[in-house]
Amino acid sequence: MGIKISYKPYNERVKEGVDNSFMQQAVASAQGRFRSGRQNRADELGDWEDWRTLGEEIRTHTLQNIDYYLQELSENVVKRGGNVFFAETKEEANAYIQEVVRKKNAKKVVKSKSMVTEEIGMNEAIEAAGAEIVESDLGEWILQLDNDPPSHIVAPSIHKNKEQIQKTFAEKKGYTGTDKPEELGLFAREQLREEFLDADIGITGCNFAVAESGAVTFVTNEGNARMVTSLPDTQITVMGLERVVPTWEELDVLVSLLTRAAVGQKLTSYVTSITGTRLEGETDGPEEYHLVIVDNGRSKILGSEFQSALHCIRCAACINVCPVYRHVGGHAYGSIYPGPIGAVLTPLLDGYEDHKELPYASSLCGACTEVCPVKIPLHEQLIRHRQIIVEDEGMSPVSERIAMKGFAKWGASPAAYKMSAAAARPALKPFSRHETIKNGPGPLKDWTVNRDFPLPAKQTFRSWFQKR
Amino acid sequence: MTCFLMFMEVNVLKVSFFITCMCDIITPEVGKHAVELLERLGCEVDFPVAQTCCGQPAFNSGYLEDAKESMKQMMRAFKDSEYVVGPSGSCVGMLREYPKVFKDDPEWEQPAKELAAKAYELTQFIVDVLDVEDVGARFHGRVTYHPSCHMTRILGVKEAPLKLLKNVKDLNLIELPIKEDCCGFGGTFAVKNSIISGEMVKEKSKHVSETRAEYLVGGDMACLLNIGGRMQREGKYVEIKHIVEILNSH
Amino acid sequence: MTIKNRDSFLDNLAGQLGRKRNTKGVERPKWSINPQHRVLKDATQDELVEVLETQCKEIHTDFISTDKKGLADALEEFIDKYHGKSIVSAGGPRINEFGLAQLYEKMAADGKDIHLWDEEKGEENKVFAEHADIGITFSDITLAESGTVTLFNDKYNGRSISLLPQSYIAIIPKSTIVPRMTQATEKIHQQHQNGQLVSSCVSFVTGPSNSADIEMKLIVGVHGPVAASYVVVEDA
Repeated sequence: MGIKISYKPYNERVKEGVDNSFMQQAVASAQGRFRSGRQNRADELGDWEDWRTLGEEIRTHTLQNIDYYLQELSENVVKRGGNVFFAETKEEANAYIQEVVRKKNAKKVVKSKSMVTEEIGMNEAIEAAGAEIVESDLGEWILQLDNDPPSHIVAPSIHKNKEQIQKTFAEKKGYTGTDKPEELGLFAREQLREEFLDADIGITGCNFAVAESGAVTFVTNEGNARMVTSLPDTQITVMGLERVVPTWEELDVLVSLLTRAAVGQKLTSYVTSITGTRLEGETDGPEEYHLVIVDNGRSKILGSEFQSALHCIRCAACINVCPVYRHVGGHAYGSIYPGPIGAVLTPLLDGYEDHKELPYASSLCGACTEVCPVKIPLHEQLIRHRQIIVEDEGMSPVSERIAMKGFAKWGASPAAYKMSAAAARPALKPFSRHETIKNGPGPLKDWTVNRDFPLPAKQTFRSWFQKR
Repeated sequence: MTCFLMFMEVNVLKVSFFITCMCDIITPEVGKHAVELLERLGCEVDFPVAQTCCGQPAFNSGYLEDAKESMKQMMRAFKDSEYVVGPSGSCVGMLREYPKVFKDDPEWEQPAKELAAKAYELTQFIVDVLDVEDVGARFHGRVTYHPSCHMTRILGVKEAPLKLLKNVKDLNLIELPIKEDCCGFGGTFAVKNSIISGEMVKEKSKHVSETRAEYLVGGDMACLLNIGGRMQREGKYVEIKHIVEILNSH
Repeated sequence: MTIKNRDSFLDNLAGQLGRKRNTKGVERPKWSINPQHRVLKDATQDELVEVLETQCKEIHTDFISTDKKGLADALEEFIDKYHGKSIVSAGGPRINEFGLAQLYEKMAADGKDIHLWDEEKGEENKVFAEHADIGITFSDITLAESGTVTLFNDKYNGRSISLLPQSYIAIIPKSTIVPRMTQATEKIHQQHQNGQLVSSCVSFVTGPSNSADIEMKLIVGVHGPVAASYVVVEDA
């Protein structure tokens, strides 16, 4: 599918989101739980800000030396029997993975939840190479059966309810049970267990890769990444180039930040670090191992003013506090990366042309920046995007550009300011009743769709002050 | 009152009042209360008439160069001021961002730093600079407080308004549910993304109603006009008041 | 074992950073702050056991504390609770050290199907584990804060034992309990520095498998075990 998940225009996507009251309720309730979980885990430590400071330091240092750490990582993976492929584009990554699929003559590939494989559209590539691909994360499996894109980077099927899931299971897999989550979950367990046992190749994403020893780490609750890395004989890990940490000691800090910020857990059920192929005498784990390190637009962010966006550890804390996300849902962003981090990353990875509305899909309330465990200044980066869209790309509406030129003149001249301040009331008077505007002109029109606006006062403050 | 009088005798602070364009034109009474309160607390208040707008509408919309015109005018206007105090966390927050905006600008970086260093939001100034937490106010009523986003997150002022409100006699302060959530104003966001903004303010309005408060109080008039305007549209009765109106009641 | 496309890829990254490739000599800086070392810093071993026990409630995990003499009874209690007829257990020297060999013999005599993970058995290990009711392993390092057992999977302790069976029992020698993940990763880092091979799979396991993917409702036991219990054993 790739990073872009919709061809509908932005306004239509937003409208669909706000009209979907089930989705809004589901998202609001999920946000509530994620938020209180995250907050409790931060509060109980008592020094959460210190953790964030350390997280940011680690990410900054690693990115500044990313070429060194990736080299170290690749050498250590090879030492442990693995192969490493550096892919500059998604096409290169997919071609390499297809080659492995063909060489192994694989009929079935099972994968765990991974954003980077969504980003590069790997599933379609594997199908094109003649193998079946099965998602094993419960949420992703539901979406795969329904041919629906994820709407959240941690809880991908957050927008679906249990009745919808029951219906999907019944139609696609012959499920005859109730809509109880436990029963649905048990059904998925049975179905997917068979898939794991049948699979020729397992594919995972990567939360963190440890440069010093070549270990790649997966953070899950269900255990699907453990299944994928324990059962099939061939194992492929796909990682975004920024996922590396120097040593095991930094792994500790980032995993701790991730699980607390993402789901409010001290640690998730499974944090699994695998290194290369199985060792002599071991009877499970992969016999063949491939690590695919993906650029796909990330290197352009490196060295730019947006570099800290690469700090992101995909915890979704920013998404979980975002009031815009709550009302429009993930699909409205039109990208597999929704919410504040999606609005920052998507234009960087996939260009402004298709995503120029995203940086404006924020009231700049700063809630995202406040919770980010690795201190990405998300709302500031959104403003910077807007500047580029306006001043470099020239993509803003003409009427807005004229209005802002007017603003500049007005703001630079106290005389012009004073005159227009005094003129505001007479100009708006005809649109008012009882000192209230209910259907305003120009930009006020959009304001008064949803709320009243008061008529400007009879006397400005400055005029009062001068006369007192 | 004795302590205030003593304060006046030993240390008269000169404050240049920054009205903000919104309060200047739409709700000037906020400015009048602020000036009265500052004077009652022993400050000498002036009003540099060369001030215009902090530049935020253009800055947040991506019009950096247009925003700078207004920002430069603000730096000129407050050049000789000792303290610059305004009744808005958001607009004062913008002044504090000037050094980032003018970083490496040979002419304007220094003035930007100077203005940022002396700019205070009103409650922040009262608590942090004047070191006063009880302004001797009395206000009767059920009040809920909306902590505006830029006040708390950009400027980092979380405690000062609450400290002051808690010392207002007869005031019944009721906690607003999910108070830290944005009301949906967001400057030009309310116009450019009016559908989403509308959804956000509806939710905020619902939370305010749940408190059964008679008064909705905050430190940013734009957010209050947004929420109050929505509640008025819904036919819900709540009176919006800038925090300075409460602090200047007796 | 190959590395492909590396040089052009990494040269490009260095170029973006405005410098030449850094192929050696990057030192980790001394981080300005280390809050991870403060957690449970002064806790005694007994206090850590208490923290672990409390955390077990959060993670839906049964907990019992005993000594070597009581271990067999404790295990039997959990095996009964989980209706365990077939059991796969990690092998290795600790089986004898903790007297499990006798217990397993006794259980086998009682008609239970017992399988000790053994490299000689090859593929059969996995096949047995897939159908087993219960998997039993020792914890190599135990993290009190999060209630986590750390498993250095190897030829005696397959990845599947703690993963495929319906229920999982971890035997936790009391001396393996540390405050948090920090001490475990520090140890792995040290071992690596000393030239020891890092385990091909380090599993940090915290209770049973679970998911909240359906309406945020907790489902316990999605792919991994449906139930888990920890048996802390005095080993000093």
